[in-house]
Amino acid sequence: MKNTLLSLNEATRTVNSGSNKVTLLDNINLNVEVGEFISLMGPSGSGKSTLLNCIGMLDHFTDGGYTFLGEPVHSMKEKNRSKLYKEYIGFVFQAYHLIDELTVYENIETPLLYKSVKSSERKAMVADMLDRFNIVGKKDLFPIQLSGGQQQLVGIARALIGKPKLILADEPTGNLNSKQSEEIMELFAQLNKEGVTIIQATHSESNAAYGSRIINLLDGKIV
Amino acid sequence: MFKNYFKIALRNLWKNRTFTALNVVGLTVAFGVALLLGMFAVFQLSFDRFHDHGDTIYKVYSEDSGPYGIEANTSKSEPFAAALRDEVTGVEKITRYSGSGVLLTYQDKQLGMGTAYVDPDFFEMFSFPIVKGDTENPITSESSVAMTEQAAKRIFGDENPIGQTVTILRDEVEVPFNVTAIIEDFPDTSSIGFDIVLNFKSQNEHAYARTVGRWDMENHEVYMQLSEGLKPEQFEKSTADFTQLHYKNEIDNAKRDGFEPNADGLYRQIKVLPLADVRFANFNQGVVSVNRTMPYLVLGISFLILFIACVNFINMSIAKSSQRLREIGMRKTLGANKKQLFFQFWGESILVFLMSIGLGILLAVVLLPYFQTLFRTQASLATLLNPSLLILLIFSVLLITLIAGGYPALLMSRLGTLQSLKGKLQVNGKNRLRNSLMVLQFGIAILLISGTLVLWDQVEFMRTKDLGFNKDQVIAFPLNGKLNDQKAIELLRNTLQDKPNIVSITASNNILGIGKDGNRTTSVLGFEHKGRGVDTHMLVVDADYVETLDLNIIEGRSFRKNLVSDSLSVIINEAMAKQMNEDDILASQITLDDASYNIVGVIEDFNFQELDQHIAPMTLFALPNWNLRNVYVKVTSQNLEQAYDDVKTAWNTIEPNVEFQGSFLNENIERTLRNERTMITMIGSGSILAIILSCIGLFAMSLLIVAQRRKEIGVRKIVGASVSAITVLLTKDFLKLVVIAFLMATPIAWWTMNKWLQNYPYRIDLNIWIFLAAGGIAVLIAMLTIAVKTIKAATSNPVESLRTE
Repeated sequence: MKNTLLSLNEATRTVNSGSNKVTLLDNINLNVEVGEFISLMGPSGSGKSTLLNCIGMLDHFTDGGYTFLGEPVHSMKEKNRSKLYKEYIGFVFQAYHLIDELTVYENIETPLLYKSVKSSERKAMVADMLDRFNIVGKKDLFPIQLSGGQQQLVGIARALIGKPKLILADEPTGNLNSKQSEEIMELFAQLNKEGVTIIQATHSESNAAYGSRIINLLDGKIV
Repeated sequence: MFKNYFKIALRNLWKNRTFTALNVVGLTVAFGVALLLGMFAVFQLSFDRFHDHGDTIYKVYSEDSGPYGIEANTSKSEPFAAALRDEVTGVEKITRYSGSGVLLTYQDKQLGMGTAYVDPDFFEMFSFPIVKGDTENPITSESSVAMTEQAAKRIFGDENPIGQTVTILRDEVEVPFNVTAIIEDFPDTSSIGFDIVLNFKSQNEHAYARTVGRWDMENHEVYMQLSEGLKPEQFEKSTADFTQLHYKNEIDNAKRDGFEPNADGLYRQIKVLPLADVRFANFNQGVVSVNRTMPYLVLGISFLILFIACVNFINMSIAKSSQRLREIGMRKTLGANKKQLFFQFWGESILVFLMSIGLGILLAVVLLPYFQTLFRTQASLATLLNPSLLILLIFSVLLITLIAGGYPALLMSRLGTLQSLKGKLQVNGKNRLRNSLMVLQFGIAILLISGTLVLWDQVEFMRTKDLGFNKDQVIAFPLNGKLNDQKAIELLRNTLQDKPNIVSITASNNILGIGKDGNRTTSVLGFEHKGRGVDTHMLVVDADYVETLDLNIIEGRSFRKNLVSDSLSVIINEAMAKQMNEDDILASQITLDDASYNIVGVIEDFNFQELDQHIAPMTLFALPNWNLRNVYVKVTSQNLEQAYDDVKTAWNTIEPNVEFQGSFLNENIERTLRNERTMITMIGSGSILAIILSCIGLFAMSLLIVAQRRKEIGVRKIVGASVSAITVLLTKDFLKLVVIAFLMATPIAWWTMNKWLQNYPYRIDLNIWIFLAAGGIAVLIAMLTIAVKTIKAATSNPVESLRTE
């Protein structure tokens, strides 16, 4: 039995650049079921990142409908929206975006702090995550002391710690060499098997192949 | 959560240690200095506030119409106080007050004591609590003396002072007094100060017995306590009958001479001044004006300095926030809301502020002794330890932290998630804020610098002005020993007569400037001259007065060597001659109650009072056996120190038991400029601090701007820009701000300083150079500050700056 995680209905995103109105996303219709692993593909500027940001509620569609877990996101207040994504969505970035001033342990812990998880529980969860990603020995290092692959591992661990239903990954391997890339993609496939829904944006055919469905974007449209 | 914030705050502060250090140093200095200045201002403002009945205690004075308009007169006559209490309703309690120094003897100890002569009501009105002895009637008896704990300690050491007998020199007789009460040492913030308190009637013949029952001899002050609920204005109105009864002659004469009445249409009116205003009141220039400018100015400077330091903090925080964009974006993505981000960044600011406040307090404690000496103040940090004040202090610190730390935090917390993740900062309007704040900073600095320059100029002017007498070669000192004045002067003349470096010796009953003992008196005499009332200052002098002080005789002659033959002669100054308006002034006479005096000479006007007053009419008398308080010794211009030592040695042999308190007249003049000097030091150090702090901010800004424009500089150099062109490019923007600040601050400075100078009849003319100099100093310092970084950036190899891109 398939559950719909989110659905987009004629979702559009336009921006004003000077006096021109530029359409970044043009009437996107998309249904994502729980447990899918979707790869968004397309050339630079085709709207992959914008779509991910809009789905992740960091950005918003300017037109059309967006329903997440049955709730209409497009008509939600900012506060409820952030509550929603805090609860259900995890992000992984190409540039990792770890906080330089925090250690590995603290970086992974941060989302829990914003969720007001109790201290003892937090410790257990972080320890669990470190263990699972085999980075216990690096927990007191700062991001700058890690390789790119390790940093992305921490980034993923951080995205997973909140037990999200959906992981959005914007070119997660863009800054990594092929070996590291492969490891990260294997990890994603593993997570997907465990039931996490994943949407990734990628340039690479081989990475896209890990997905259960490939969506091609061009000039803001699904092709 | 809190721990996480704290950790990241510390790590961030450490990472940006240059900026953290600049901020902490700036804020520490600002908080420390603001604390000291605030303490000083609070100390000044809390004067005379410790009396329980303070709200209802007033100083009594009168507004008299005179030839120069309204004059405020605080001197009252012997019967005045009692009559006022009996005839006017509303006088709850009243006391006469006269302060002077006496020589007190106990066993073989001789001590100079500051004395207050008062009526018994004094202790019921003022809160000078008696801790030992007779609490009911401490000084009701004329042979009783009450003294402060400190004075008792000085006199008796650890002995029990109550019941002891001391003697006080009065009219050349040792009069015994019985110690009846010990008064608790009172706070330094009392404008009434004394070591011992005596009954008003215990004064010497000249001050009391001679004046009993006489309304025309005014020589002391009067304080009264108004009945509960009575407004001072009501009371003042109700004294009309009283003045009409006792001052009928004066009122009639004032009307006859065509003097202007006061604001209420009266020619003489009893007025009362609240005790809390007494310290800030000016009785010298017409209607009494209460002026608390000084403490508020000091408070203002402390706020300005804090403001400047806070501006630095705000500017640096905002400029540095671009480096934390990714963190902000990431935190938002991880679920932080605005409030959480605000508290995180605000918390960081609080950390810096707490650190600075702590260090600031430390700095204030360390600087306190120097501060106290420099500004001659007893103010200490204890001054601030008062619950309501502490609350106010904590509240203002919180407010400062909220604004200075909160504003950048607010800006950062409101950045859009995506923009910050991408590292793009919207620059809308933020530079405008930074620029306006910097303009304000430099405006304040320029204002303070020009204030300092004008003040300094005026004080130099007053110090070096030709006052009309010889102030460089004349030593003056008070006759503070046991000998009769004439006897003492004679002995001094004999001792010094064969010393080649002593030119002449004289004495008078007043001092020029302020002597080492700090005592001053003035006597004003009013009499009828050809159907008009005439007022004159009265100076009684010994032989050679005119010669010793090098006063210029412009008509007639000086007093003769044989002074007795001149006991009915007077010499007047030009202002007096003008007032008398005679065709042949030397043929005129001054007729007082007891005798007629011939005018034998006219001297050129000299500034016998301070320079904030016009030269008033003055008459020199040569009355024999008068109470002459000060000796003047003119010495030759070579080796002034040796001459001073000779005079000192001579006086020490004549009066071995008292201190020689001599000083050259120019030192006395310098003492009258103390307030101005304090103000200069205050504003001067304020302006130095302001410019240093502004430059710290400017330096930080130049660091950031140069870092931000590194690439631009590199590209410009590659396309052929010269070092100087780039330096100009980088410096231009900042200099523009300083110039705008100058244009804005100068009119304000001009207006303020012009207004201040109006207080002085003898003053400098403001000219644009002073202000240009202030602006020039600011521009120069600003340029030097940014030059370090900009020139380095301009000379660096463009390849290096471009390689990092």
